[in-house]
Amino acid sequence: MSAQRVSRVQLMLVLLVLLILQFYLRPRIGNARISPDFLLIGLMLFAMRSGPGAGALAGFAVGLIEDTLTPARFGAGLLAHTLVGYFAAWSRAVFFADNTLVNAAFVAIGLWFRDLVVLMTSGTEGPQLVTELTLYSPLQALTTAGFALLVLVTFRSWFSIRLDA
Amino acid sequence: MASISDRRYTRRDTVLFILCLGLSIVTLFSPASWGYAIADTLRHTVLAPLVWLQTRAEEGRTSRMRFRTVIAQRDSAAYVAQFLPSLRAENERLRQLLKLSNRLATSYRPAEVLHQPHATDGRTLLLSAGSREGVAPFNPVLAPEGLIGVVLSVTPHSSVAMTWSHPEFRVSAYTVAGNALGVVAPSADVRAAEGSLELRGVPYRDSIPLGTLVLSSGLGGVFPKGIPVGTVTGTVREEAGWERVYRLRAAANPGSAVHVLILVGTRPPDLARAFPSDSQLESMRLDSIARVHRADSIAQAFRAARAARRDSLGRSSPMLGGTPTTSGLPVPRDSTP
Repeated sequence: MSAQRVSRVQLMLVLLVLLILQFYLRPRIGNARISPDFLLIGLMLFAMRSGPGAGALAGFAVGLIEDTLTPARFGAGLLAHTLVGYFAAWSRAVFFADNTLVNAAFVAIGLWFRDLVVLMTSGTEGPQLVTELTLYSPLQALTTAGFALLVLVTFRSWFSIRLDA
Repeated sequence: MASISDRRYTRRDTVLFILCLGLSIVTLFSPASWGYAIADTLRHTVLAPLVWLQTRAEEGRTSRMRFRTVIAQRDSAAYVAQFLPSLRAENERLRQLLKLSNRLATSYRPAEVLHQPHATDGRTLLLSAGSREGVAPFNPVLAPEGLIGVVLSVTPHSSVAMTWSHPEFRVSAYTVAGNALGVVAPSADVRAAEGSLELRGVPYRDSIPLGTLVLSSGLGGVFPKGIPVGTVTGTVREEAGWERVYRLRAAANPGSAVHVLILVGTRPPDLARAFPSDSQLESMRLDSIARVHRADSIAQAFRAARAARRDSLGRSSPMLGGTPTTSGLPVPRDSTP
């Protein structure tokens, strides 16, 4: 088995672990609105190592999961995650995406942008929109970026691949 | 200059992106019933293992807390049982007062709320009970404090509830004094605080004082009568002298609800008795204390009578220096200390 193929398997393994953490660990760690969003970490890490098309497709899949479990406005999550996945993949070409801290910052920005799109498309307005975007979303972005940093430091070598290469 | 393969690569990415974006937008503007149908199907099939995993996690998180509570209740009960039986009865009575489930005359299913890390979590809640447990669409969802919402869609093992904070939520309601009737909806006032409700359609002549409790009226057939919806905290606006809109503080908070009760089966006519007001609780507590006092006085009288009987027996026994009984029957011994 080639080294590239092994790295892909390792990356998929980490993404699978993140998927399980989302549904098994996150409910145990307190407030759902500020606990890390493991699915978004997986999406960002995948999208930043693949092409924009694959990133958009992965975002669509993650959005489908989110919308299925929180169908407040079905389609809002799909749109938000598709955009996040696409722009995360493009951002690699613009910034120094190999830097661990930059990766973590991308995760935080992606989460805040996701919340912005979801809130706007689901008709939230006024003080609730302001509260969500200035309090809960930044807090969740911080915890999510912190965990993303931990994942990146722990599996540094596993994430040093380009899926679209 | 980009090669042909690079251009293909870019074109493929763009096509994929536009496809995903188009599908998202179509889904976003499609009828809500389609979205719920797709969500139900996916939750029941592909995502069933993930929902199962989260349900187990929620149970694991709460089971430790429940175990400690049960241990504490058991220790308290054992302590009380050793010393004061009347207090044990009092504790049991208060516990029953606090438990909504004991007060509900209709059948219900308990369910755990599976919160999601979404900004719109709280508008709809994923519940861990489904059609296998007897849950059906339009079943009311309650918390011990009052109304949470109504079940929207159901799969065999889970269901989705629309809470009162959902923009499309409405419930017919009346004030506890019965002098005003209206429709409660989420607040549309952008200056209103997060999570407030509005009581709309109240005739201008019907003035409602602050602090008045608002209950569901039972009209419409979805929500039974008598469920607390909220408390009046102020006036939002007055419509040209013919209508007043009041702001309500909601009775129950969907964002922090961990366990809820889903009313199933036939709707009871009135649930007001299941949600006693503070004054009712106070009177019930006073009544309970009076019962305890009566029980204590009876127990004291019984102890005094037993002590008097023991003294009397002691005086009549020759072993204790008393006079023997004339009937010749064996003297009964009191085994109590």
